This record gives sequence, structure tokens and C-alpha cells, in this order.
Amino acid sequence: MSDGHDDHGHGKQSFISKYVFSFDHKMIGKQYLSLVMFMAVIGGALAMLVRLQLGYPGMHSEFWAKLFPTGMASGVMTPEFYVMLFTMHGTIMVFFVLSLGPVSGFGNYLIPLQIGARDMAFPFLNMMSFWTALPGAIIILISFLVEGGAAASGWTAYPPLSAIRSAIPGSALGQTLWLVGMIFFVASFTMGGLNFVVTIINMRAKGLTMMRLPLTTWAQFIVGILGLLSFPALAAGAILLTFDRSMGTSFFLPHGMFIGDTLLPNSGGSPLLWQHLFWFLGHPEVYIIMLPALGFTSDILSTFTRRPIFGYRSMVYAMCAIGFLSFIVWGHHMFISGMSPFLGTMFTMTTLCIAVPSAVKTFNWLATLWKAKIRFTTPMLFALGIVSLFVTGGLTGIFLGTNAVDIQLHDTYFVVAHFHFIMAGAGLFGMFAAIYYWYPKMFGRHMNESLAKIHFWFTFTTYYGVFFPMHYLGIAGMMRRIYDPNTYDYLKPLQPVNTFITICAFILGASQIIILVNYFWSMFMGKKVESENPWEANTLEWSLPIEPGHGNWPGEIPEVHRWPYDYQHPDAEGDFIPQWVPPKKAVTK
Amino acid sequence: MAENTEANRDAKHGMALGLTLWAIIVISVAFFFKYDVPELASDRGSQDTIYYVILGITGVAYILVQGVLGFYVWKYRHRDDEEGSYWHESHKMELLWTIGTTVVLVPIVAWGLVLWEDVKAAPPTDVLTIEAVGAQFQWDMRYPGPDGTFGAWRPELYTLENYMGLDPDDAAGADDIMMTNQMVLPVDTPVRILLRSRDLQHAFFLPNFRVKQDLMPGIETSVWFTPTKIGEYEIACAELCGLGHYRMRAFLSVRSQADYETWLSEQSAAN
Repeated sequence: MSDGHDDHGHGKQSFISKYVFSFDHKMIGKQYLSLVMFMAVIGGALAMLVRLQLGYPGMHSEFWAKLFPTGMASGVMTPEFYVMLFTMHGTIMVFFVLSLGPVSGFGNYLIPLQIGARDMAFPFLNMMSFWTALPGAIIILISFLVEGGAAASGWTAYPPLSAIRSAIPGSALGQTLWLVGMIFFVASFTMGGLNFVVTIINMRAKGLTMMRLPLTTWAQFIVGILGLLSFPALAAGAILLTFDRSMGTSFFLPHGMFIGDTLLPNSGGSPLLWQHLFWFLGHPEVYIIMLPALGFTSDILSTFTRRPIFGYRSMVYAMCAIGFLSFIVWGHHMFISGMSPFLGTMFTMTTLCIAVPSAVKTFNWLATLWKAKIRFTTPMLFALGIVSLFVTGGLTGIFLGTNAVDIQLHDTYFVVAHFHFIMAGAGLFGMFAAIYYWYPKMFGRHMNESLAKIHFWFTFTTYYGVFFPMHYLGIAGMMRRIYDPNTYDYLKPLQPVNTFITICAFILGASQIIILVNYFWSMFMGKKVESENPWEANTLEWSLPIEPGHGNWPGEIPEVHRWPYDYQHPDAEGDFIPQWVPPKKAVTK
Repeated sequence: MAENTEANRDAKHGMALGLTLWAIIVISVAFFFKYDVPELASDRGSQDTIYYVILGITGVAYILVQGVLGFYVWKYRHRDDEEGSYWHESHKMELLWTIGTTVVLVPIVAWGLVLWEDVKAAPPTDVLTIEAVGAQFQWDMRYPGPDGTFGAWRPELYTLENYMGLDPDDAAGADDIMMTNQMVLPVDTPVRILLRSRDLQHAFFLPNFRVKQDLMPGIETSVWFTPTKIGEYEIACAELCGLGHYRMRAFLSVRSQADYETWLSEQSAAN
């Protein structure tokens, strides 16, 4: 279909066209991953500072005073600095790590390889998408340096806090840059989503029907649609909020706000409108982050259990159902906002519907593990980790989706615990699993397996150590986003829990150095890959040569003869039959 | 053989992961017996009941699913010599987990919605009404005073002195009682709190009363409940409202009817 790239793969390219303004989806995917790792280090460091304050409130340190001359001027963190920290932690992690990594990074890298295409449908748009995301990220990073600091209205940027410059220091220039950065991000993400959908619909290899797609690509397909339909709502909201901030409009600002000693001139707007617009994006966004990880999990589980994924069709239907439902549940973020109670009733019903396809996925994974021959490689360990986190986070969603229970738990640490398991946990572990799994294909070398396993064990155990106790904090009534819980008498007894979480968080943070070192060290020093299919997997990307050029397959694109999960097939001479093997001609092991 | 030793080494990770998952189940469940919701002081005990029921149901699901996951990774760690299975499709199983999950969820949803209707229902007509106004970073309370009627207010009248925006021409406002960061309620009397924000968004959170409601500028919201236990409690802001959000705290004192009336007449006299 797109055979216009004959010269690629062996043609000589300049450094600029190969590594900087590349059209090659594989290089663009890697560019995204590099950006993601950089942003993850920043976002992670912010989380460490948040935990420092919560674990040791009011701690005095001359060292910090030197490092952060404004945020910790007297050696103690200021409340406005704290609010900025968690705001930017959320923003960077949700958008620039967990969305860009599994979706833009691995989506770009994997979709053409798994469907047998030479590149994405619109390679130039693809390049533009990265070169729009990067300025967005840079703008977000620059916002730390402006007067008043970066945005400080939470990652949800609720007006009026985010709209009124005098409401908090971060709502000065920092919030403007946040909105501009976000508009860049949305532009990038919609370009990517369009590319994903068009590519998957039109450019599948011969024989590759939709119901023969690997679940990873199915997930990316649904994510592309979700992104296209939901992100424009955020862009619209961000533009309207920019008008409110800079041009005196009142889309989100009502009459009657008395700030400082003046009554603001606004009238007619509603802060609730922002919440509707934001969560109309925000909830699909959760699934944009999660679905790729669930796809990776299915594929990796199947490869390393040496079993076909159980209930392939129901897995596809479950993901479609989750994708559809994600558009009609946003109000569960607003049960206590003052929205009509009748809407609260409706959103509880739709929200708890999501539990059904989620449970189907979980049970199918368990059925895949039944009678398996598990190979405990690092990607497999992380995939199993996702199953565990998904179960924990999914079950706590039942509490929060039930509006009568949400009244007490809303805006407490129970919510923080919940979304760090279900969304952040799945997204992060998904990215780790994907890095360890596809690294040999991406760089032609293996990562160091011992380091990788050490990384898994530290990450998995401390992840539970950090986020599970947050359920207890929330049940005991500790609010989110408070600088010092010890202000309240009833929260004082919880300080040991907060200190424990902080210690675990520091170990969790430090252990991420292991994967960073392993990733970059292995690129040059890792053991060279000897087979193009080192995991003995079935999907098309493993039919590529060890170091594929632009255009992917040097010769003909292989024809697809079967679904991607023929492990333990009765006809197989070994224990697996890749998708490109014709019938009656099974490979030997 | 090299490959075999690698496989054996990997299999140890399977055993370790199985044990880790079981350990996580035991430890994480145990602490639910230590950490509980704050002591209940209102008539909203049914919200606690449904919380405990959901905790029980999800707790069983959590133990079973994580337990089976742990068991499988332990049991099915690399075993190349044993027979595998190509079985991967079963409509019966898919129906089982679809219907099974639905059957468990429907009663929870139905019950939750009934409670939601109760909480959101109109208060009784003899309800005691108090106003709480949120602003960076304090709570201003207003009682209607002996005449039982609140004076009118308008945002245009806000000043640093007239922080409630009261209309001086409205006689009903003359006896209104106002105080900052303090609220006193009589026990066993339904109370309705009118909530308005003077600036940004806040949330009126009474941890011991299972009450939480956002204050939305431009919209007046309200909650009603009945305090059932005499004592001193805390009021918190639960919605980010600025750098002082964490210290937007007030005190709630629930007193006997007699003590409440004594206090109220003292306040009126001082007014």
C-alpha cells in the first residue's frame, strides 16, 4: 500500500533526517520514549518532594534552601511550593509520561510492525506530532522558571483558582504557560490519534483481518478513537480558560467573587462548565493511559505462558465496551460538586457498568495462566504486576463509583490510592513491561536481565508499600492536596503511615535509576540479539530482521495466515506458530 | 544445560512472586482492622453500613483473585516437560464472569442509589438552618437570630467589614449572629447548612458526620443531617482553594438542646 519507501533501509540518511526530523515511525517512537524518560525523571522528582513534606512536615534543611531559593527560602517548604509540586507532578505524569509513553511512544513504534505496514499512514503528520509535543513539554518545563512559579491549581486546573491571577502565585504566568503547553499537547495527541486510526483501518497486511489483530494494536486503535473524540474538549476548555484569564471573558467565572477587597467584575459563567469539559476528556484519558497497558499485558501474558490468550473475542469486546463507557461516566468526578443529584444517580449506574468488562478481562487473564508454562522473564513479571494492580485498583473503584460512599471518600487519599493503582500503576508498569519486551527489537540488544529483575522486585513491592496504605489514610479522612495534615487533630495519629509511605516512595524513586542505567547502558553494551524472534513470539514485528531499516521489511511484507496466539497449537511441531507461517507448515522449535 | 539453569532461575521468581502476592494480601487486609472511618456522630450511619458491605464483598474478591493469581504463578512456573493446553475459548466461562459480576454489582448499585436519594431528599420542615460561607481560608457562619429569618445579602455589598454582604436595609439581618471558624449545633435536631463561597471553590467536609459538599461560586448549595453525638469536632476544606487550603479549618461543637439554647441566647445578647 505504501511502497513509496523503497530507498529506505539502505539509503544513506543525514544525521538530521535520521535522528531529528525523522519520518520513520520507529525513530519517532524512540524519540517519544526519550522525551518520556526525561519528563518521568522530573515528574518523579516532584513526587519525591511532595512525599518529603508529607513524611516529614516542616522539616528544616539549609541544603534545600540553597537548592530552591524561593520554594524553600527559609529551609522549610512553603505551602504554595507544595501545591505547585503536586500540580506539576500530576500534569507531567498524566500527559507527558503516561500518555506519551504507552500511546505515542509504543503506539508509533508498534502499530506498523504489528499490522505489517511500511510506516504510519501519514509519516509527515507523525513527525509533526512529535515536534508539537516537544515544544509543549518545553513550555511546561519553562513554567517552573517564571515569576510565581509553575501552575498551582491541581492537574485538573479548576477555575476560579486557575482563572484568577491573584488566587495563588502559580495562577500568574505559570498557569498561562500550562494552558499553552496543554494546547500543544492536545494538538500533538490528536495528530497521533488520527494516524493510529487511519493506519490500522487501511494498512493491514494481506490476511490480517481486524479479528486477527494482536490485542496491543486493538488497544491502540480504541485509544486513537478515544483521543480524537475527547481531547478536543480539553483544547476547547483550555482556550476558553485562556480567554477568561487574559481577555476578561466569563465562561467559567460567575458573579459574586470577592477577592482581596474587590468584587470581580465577572458574571454569568460557571466553574461547573470547566469541570464538565475537563472530565469529558479526563475520564477517557484514564483509559487512554490504561488500555495500551492492558493490551501489552495480554500479549506478554500469552507469549510467556505459552498459551493462547483466553477469550480473545471477549477481550476485544471488553475493550470496546470500556472505551464506549468511558465517555458517559465523567460525572462520577463531580458527585459532590453541586451538580444535579439526578445526574449523580445516572453516573453511578454507568460507572459501575465498567466493572463488568474489567472483570471479564481479569478472569480471562487468570484463565490464560491456568495450565500455563510460565517463563518468568522481566516483561512477564511486570505484566503479572499489572494484573495485580488492576485488580486492586478496579475493586476500589466500586467504592468511589457508588455515590453514597463517595461522599465520605471523595477528595481523600482513598482516591489518590485508587488512581495510582488503576491508572498510573497500569500505565507505568505497562511501559516497563513494554520496554523490557520490545527492547531487543528496538535496539538489537538485550537489556541486562539481572538488573531488570532487581528493578522489578524493588518497584513492585515498594509500589504496594507506597500506594496501598493511602487507602487507610483516605478511610481515616485525610484530604488530598493538603500541605500539612497535622493541622487537623483527627489526622495527627496518621503521621507514622505518612512517614512509612515516604520511605517506600524514596526507595521506589531511587530504584528507577536501575532501569534508566540499564536502558542507556544496554543500547551500547548490551548482549547482541542473535535471533530476530528471541521470545519465540507470534506477532508480526518478530518477523523483522534484527536491525530493520525505514520501510521495516527488506523484501515483501509477510502475508498473515492466522491469529497471533497459536501457542501449544496441536499442529505445531514446536509450541508456537507465528502469524506469518502458512497453514500446515508449522515451525519447529 | 545453560537454558535449563536459566529457566530454573526464572522459576524461582515465580515462586517468589506467588509468595509476595500472598504476603501482600495478608498484610494489606490486616491493616483494614486497624484503620477505620472516623467516629460517627450523625444519622448517616447507613453510609457506613454500605461502605462496610462493599469492603466485605470487594475484600473477598481481592483475596480470591490475588490469591489465585499468586497460586497460578507459583504452580505453573516453567515446566517444559508437562503438557500444555490450547483451550482458549468458552462461551460458558465468558457468560459466567459477565453475569456473575453483574449479579454481585446490581444490588450494591441499587442500594447505593436508594441511600443517595435519602441523602439528597428535602429536609423536614422544622429543620434548623445555618449558613456557612467559605473564603480563602476561613469559614464564616451565620445563624438567623431570634427572629428565625436570615437578612438578605448581595455580593455587591461585600466589603472587608461587611464580609457577609448583608443588606443594612433589611431588618431581618439585624439580629443575625455571625462567627468565624466556629459552629455550634444542638444534638438530635435536623440541621441544614446553606453553603456559599465568597471567592473560589471550597468543600465543606465534616469527617465525623459523613458530610461533604462543594461550595461553588455563583451557586448556592446545601446539605442537611442530624448530629447524634455531643462532642467537639473538626470542619475541613476538601477542595483545593489556594496556598492556605490545608489550614482552612473550623470547629464544630455539638451540644445538648439546653446547652445550645444557653449558648445561642448568650450570642444574641452579645450581638
